[in-house]
Amino acid sequence: MAAVLTDSTLEPAAGQATPSAAIRESMLGKVRAIAGGDLAAMADAIDRQGTYPKAVLKQLGAAGALRAHLRLDGSHDYVAAIQAMAEVSRVCGATGFMVWCHDACGLYLEESGNPALMGQALRDHASGHTLGATGLSNPMKTFAGIETFLLHARKVEGGYRVNGTLPWVSNLGPDHYFGAVATVESSDSASGEASGHEIMFIVRCDAEGVELRNCPSFSAMEGTNTWAVRLTDHFIGADALVADPARPFIGRVRAAFVLLQCGMGLGVTQGAIDSMWDVERALGHVNEFLDERPDELQAELDALTERTMRLARTPFATETEYLIDVCDTRAHAAELALRAAQSALLHHGARGYLMSSAVQRRVRESHFVAIVTPAIKHLRKEIARLGATVAPA
Amino acid sequence: MTAQAWRTFICRACGWIYDEALGDADGGLPPGTRFEDIPDDWACPLCGVSKADFEPCEPLPVLRRTSATAAASAGRTSVGRRDAGVVIVGAGRAGWQMAQSLREHDAQLPITIVTACPGNVYDKPLLSVALAKGIAPASLVRESSEQAAARLGVKLLARTQAISVSVGARALRTTRGTLRYRHLVLAHGADPIDLPNLPPALCWRINHLDAYLKFRDRLGEPGVQPAQRVLIVGAGLVGCELANDLALAGHPVTLLDLCERPLGSLLTEVQSNELLAAWRDLPLTFVGGVDITCVRASGSTRTVSAQDGRRFEAEHVISAVGLRTPSRLALSAGLRWNNGIAVDPVTLHTNVASIHALGDCISIGGEALRFIEPIARQARQIAATICGETSKPYVRAAPPVRVKTGSKGFTVVR
Repeated sequence: MAAVLTDSTLEPAAGQATPSAAIRESMLGKVRAIAGGDLAAMADAIDRQGTYPKAVLKQLGAAGALRAHLRLDGSHDYVAAIQAMAEVSRVCGATGFMVWCHDACGLYLEESGNPALMGQALRDHASGHTLGATGLSNPMKTFAGIETFLLHARKVEGGYRVNGTLPWVSNLGPDHYFGAVATVESSDSASGEASGHEIMFIVRCDAEGVELRNCPSFSAMEGTNTWAVRLTDHFIGADALVADPARPFIGRVRAAFVLLQCGMGLGVTQGAIDSMWDVERALGHVNEFLDERPDELQAELDALTERTMRLARTPFATETEYLIDVCDTRAHAAELALRAAQSALLHHGARGYLMSSAVQRRVRESHFVAIVTPAIKHLRKEIARLGATVAPA
Repeated sequence: MTAQAWRTFICRACGWIYDEALGDADGGLPPGTRFEDIPDDWACPLCGVSKADFEPCEPLPVLRRTSATAAASAGRTSVGRRDAGVVIVGAGRAGWQMAQSLREHDAQLPITIVTACPGNVYDKPLLSVALAKGIAPASLVRESSEQAAARLGVKLLARTQAISVSVGARALRTTRGTLRYRHLVLAHGADPIDLPNLPPALCWRINHLDAYLKFRDRLGEPGVQPAQRVLIVGAGLVGCELANDLALAGHPVTLLDLCERPLGSLLTEVQSNELLAAWRDLPLTFVGGVDITCVRASGSTRTVSAQDGRRFEAEHVISAVGLRTPSRLALSAGLRWNNGIAVDPVTLHTNVASIHALGDCISIGGEALRFIEPIARQARQIAATICGETSKPYVRAAPPVRVKTGSKGFTVVR
């Protein structure tokens, strides 16, 4: 069956410390049990009633799914982290997305080099004891020339004061926290002109000057606790700083950030293929007339999984060719999820169109995979930039 | 004084538009509320950001493109996943020749060309003699890419980068979408070698028309602006021909090479000396034995430093140190690689039946032969293979090399 779920041949490249395959398999076994059990039972409530699956996220943390990509246990294992996210996304794309939000936040904490963020705070995060998120959509799009900064920081005694509103940050709660970036206004300019430098920091949702505001309903993502966050003179001290300046840091974690997301696309695709096989006995005689059949999609998914896992061995590489490959793999995962989810709906017909059907829920989840930052168009724009010929000005 | 017209403002975060005429009833703003009268604690009803994140917006009518106008602006359209037929990567001599040969076999076959450049048809050898021949830059394009595409019935995706090949799905992934191919032909040529001591932001690399036109633009009209100095690194074919051409047009040229004489790997010592003698009356200086360590910019001046402490100055530096074939597509497709895409010397087959390659990107027996003459024969061979017809075996022969140094040309038979 699916390579994404069973492949044990993909070991880290020689020369790296090898995380025990047994540890990885044991973790993935637990994740499969949680996904197929409690998560499957509440996936519809997450989607249609907006239930936040806090208990499931805690269980995933206890199983080790949220720490595989961190170095707390010696060396990071991005292959395992992506596989775990795929297992979750195969059952519920919204929860898979929250696993990514939390994983990305763990990446920021660990790579910050800030003792205040790396000790007990990181251990609590890695075990899912506390929950975190990421508000980097706006800066990522700003660096790609698609948006402008929404958060503004002013240097003050002992730190910065940050103002502004991030429209949509997921996996939040009163006791959660998330990574964010603000552009620093130059101190000698009353006009609030940017100084050309940014800071990255952790915001605690219950801190002073932080307000969570309701935002409108989101297709397939109602259970993700997504809020608008308004910061008003919110103080950032040394203990909350992830990076100052932020750009070199983001350059360092960018590939890992994008690569982890592949788990969502691979999992949603696998879930769609699973559902196509579910109706094969009953409807195969008519489904054979459809364009995209589960065996072909599975072959494409397996090849894409292998490519993803090959890249996952070196998540901190910074060569241009590597970054292009990471962006292309992430884009391919989104395109494949779109095609597989759509084809699954065609395979099921009317029964898949019921609001209670996971098949139509997955269509919406696949749309999310395609538009969440970095979206397909954003990835292609970035590849075009990375691949462009440089010439004298 | 008349009342000011109602204005509109757009949310930079989500694109929601505040129209003063309509207000925001749910947010407590009656119709007719001026933007400056909105309280600071008001939030965008869609995404929750504040008034400060809005900017004035003038709604402009959007010109909707129809399929007819899309065809007229070829190369800017995105692609679907429909059958793209034979997909050719590259629109240099090899790419266009391939399309031409396929058309000669089959009038109906869908053909798609994907190219990172604009795709205009031109003769690359002219780039190194254009000044002396008095060819204006604008005249170098023989046929626009739109015209060539229309003439050959080709769908052209210009300014589009080919990223990777999914062999199992028979798909080429590009920056404008993913194409399903029946056959894929790689004709993307070779790129100038990137040396860390010759950074591309400071050194021109003239391997295609775009770069040449940009260089000529910066160089200015011959005889109109004061002649700018040019340093050329690498005294091979391209370096020597360009140096000769620029010098004939009056530009002071310094030609540098690690080797002690120009065209050292192609010409005999006697011939190299004849060439140097022919250059004697030109503003052209050849300096051999130069091992470059770095290039620095100071204003409009570039300074090239050598290992032995020598320094050379000019307004422009051209790197002409050779070519290498990019391996990204070939490796993603699992093609055998040997200093280029390895192809069979007789059939020109690669190791993947539905993928073909020709021109500067292929190698036979580990050797790349980057000349114009074999390209047409290669294209005919591949077209026959794709159309299921038999053809005579491909004969690999190195053509005589015409050295187009304007002051003294050579023909070298290898």
